[in-house]
Amino acid sequence: MIFELMIALTVGAVMFGTGLYGALSQTNLVMIIMGVELILAAALVNLVAFWRYLHPGEPAAQMFVLVVMAVMAVEMAVGFGIAIARFRSRGSVEMEEASELKG
Amino acid sequence: MTILIVLLSLAVGAYLIAVLESWAVHGRLQPARPAISALALLGRESLLARTPDRLLFETGPVLLLVAGLLAVAVIPLAPGLIITDMATGALFLNAALAYVLVALIMAGWGPNGAYGMIGGWRFLGQFVAYAMLIVMPITAVVLRAESLSTVDIVTSQSSLWNIAYQPLGFALFVAAAMGLCWLPPLDLPTAPGDLAGGVEAEYTGVRFAVLRLARMVIILALAGATVTFYLGGWLGPWLPDWAWSGIKILIVAGLMVSAGRLVPRVRETRYLELSWKLGIPLALGNIFLVGVIVLVVPI
Amino acid sequence: MTSQMIFLVFFGGAAVWFGVTVFRTHSMVRSALALLFSQTAVGLMFLVMQAEFLGVLQIMMMATEMSVMAIFMVMFMMDPGGMGAMDMTHQKRLSLWAGGVGLGAAMAVIWLADWGPPGGNLPETAEQTAELGRELLGRSMFIFQSVGLTILTAMVSATMVAIAPAKEQPK
Repeated sequence: MIFELMIALTVGAVMFGTGLYGALSQTNLVMIIMGVELILAAALVNLVAFWRYLHPGEPAAQMFVLVVMAVMAVEMAVGFGIAIARFRSRGSVEMEEASELKG
Repeated sequence: MTILIVLLSLAVGAYLIAVLESWAVHGRLQPARPAISALALLGRESLLARTPDRLLFETGPVLLLVAGLLAVAVIPLAPGLIITDMATGALFLNAALAYVLVALIMAGWGPNGAYGMIGGWRFLGQFVAYAMLIVMPITAVVLRAESLSTVDIVTSQSSLWNIAYQPLGFALFVAAAMGLCWLPPLDLPTAPGDLAGGVEAEYTGVRFAVLRLARMVIILALAGATVTFYLGGWLGPWLPDWAWSGIKILIVAGLMVSAGRLVPRVRETRYLELSWKLGIPLALGNIFLVGVIVLVVPI
Repeated sequence: MTSQMIFLVFFGGAAVWFGVTVFRTHSMVRSALALLFSQTAVGLMFLVMQAEFLGVLQIMMMATEMSVMAIFMVMFMMDPGGMGAMDMTHQKRLSLWAGGVGLGAAMAVIWLADWGPPGGNLPETAEQTAELGRELLGRSMFIFQSVGLTILTAMVSATMVAIAPAKEQPK
């Protein structure tokens, strides 16, 4: 029972729950992206905790963390590009009003 | 003990650079001017904006000072005279200086004033320009030293200083560094004419003194970084190590503060254009060139 | 109670508190800055766990990314200063349940699983970075190259989507 591992994993779990709540409950696209960033940060905490306490000699785990960081940056960039385009065509990025394809 | 010595030399250096900057701005050498104006600022009344965002208003200058001090912590003044010799020192310097942006955004948004806010957001535009441009020359320097530690970077220059080995990287690093510490001609956040003082306009009294002090610390940190990465740190013939570092840092900081005033202010669109269309391809070419030279030439 | 445990609790608590502040505050700029400091706390946790390169990288990248997010919030949100105190949420019960179920499932797995013995021989920081470099350019070269290509594609596509279409010439 490695206590440091438990603490880090618990922090990751709580951040994941918060991020999931935020991503599902917010109406604005930018806030949804912020929720997703929290979820990815929780995943990073878990990865580093597993690397440090279970397999410290394995550099591939750090490689995985770099890939997740790159994915965070890429997803944010593309998300904001879409937000700009939508704002330009509709005037707002509220998800409640994005129901053109519904029904 | 080393922490005290480094902080003391930082204070002395900041005072000397303030004297140099007042000489460049006002045209007369007044050695007592920074002390007098610091005392005057501490005594003046602190005017508050009408509906500021109190938390961000107070935290802005303090975060700026903390970022500057953290950046100074990894600069070596002599082989043992460094606050913390982190194994990833060069990257830590960059990480600490990234909080200059956060602090200026807070300081711009906090006072709830138009000019300050515009100054803060314009600095973000400047930041997008210099952020990549400051990391790539550092990568080329680290490539030669084969280590991220600042002490190793200095000792790797014992045969030939990096300014002769990678002059292109030096030019790009200085151009990006002047954008980071918002020295003229890249002083958009606190433009005296354009934005009536910009971010500094809403701060008075003690907070303004902290803001100016933080700016001096950042200028010294960047001069120290230039000396460590490109001018050989403490390496030199007759004088002791710390004397060489001090002289080099003061010369570089003095040049940074005074040389830019001869050129008109650069708008962030122009800086962005130059940096991304010209600067980053040159920086990538620099990395490639340095890599080839490191593998081929045995110095 | 080792010092590592104390620091992990402190920085972990800071990360969680800032993360919760993101969705509780009314001011949009404060929300973005709270996310920034939450990510910084995560980076500091990495430093405590002796992954120095990753910690410094996280701190540096997140400062810049979240500042960019702050300006996008000011551009797109209706009430960036938060003085209006609007409630901008929908399907609150569903999302609370989803968050709670996610948290509960994760906690169940964490506390009921047997994670095995602690791994040994943590390498020195400089050696960690060197090993990571060799791994990146050696065994994981393919992953590295495809990530680089993905980033380039994302940059080009985001720029193309965001550029305003040129005004059509009157025929």
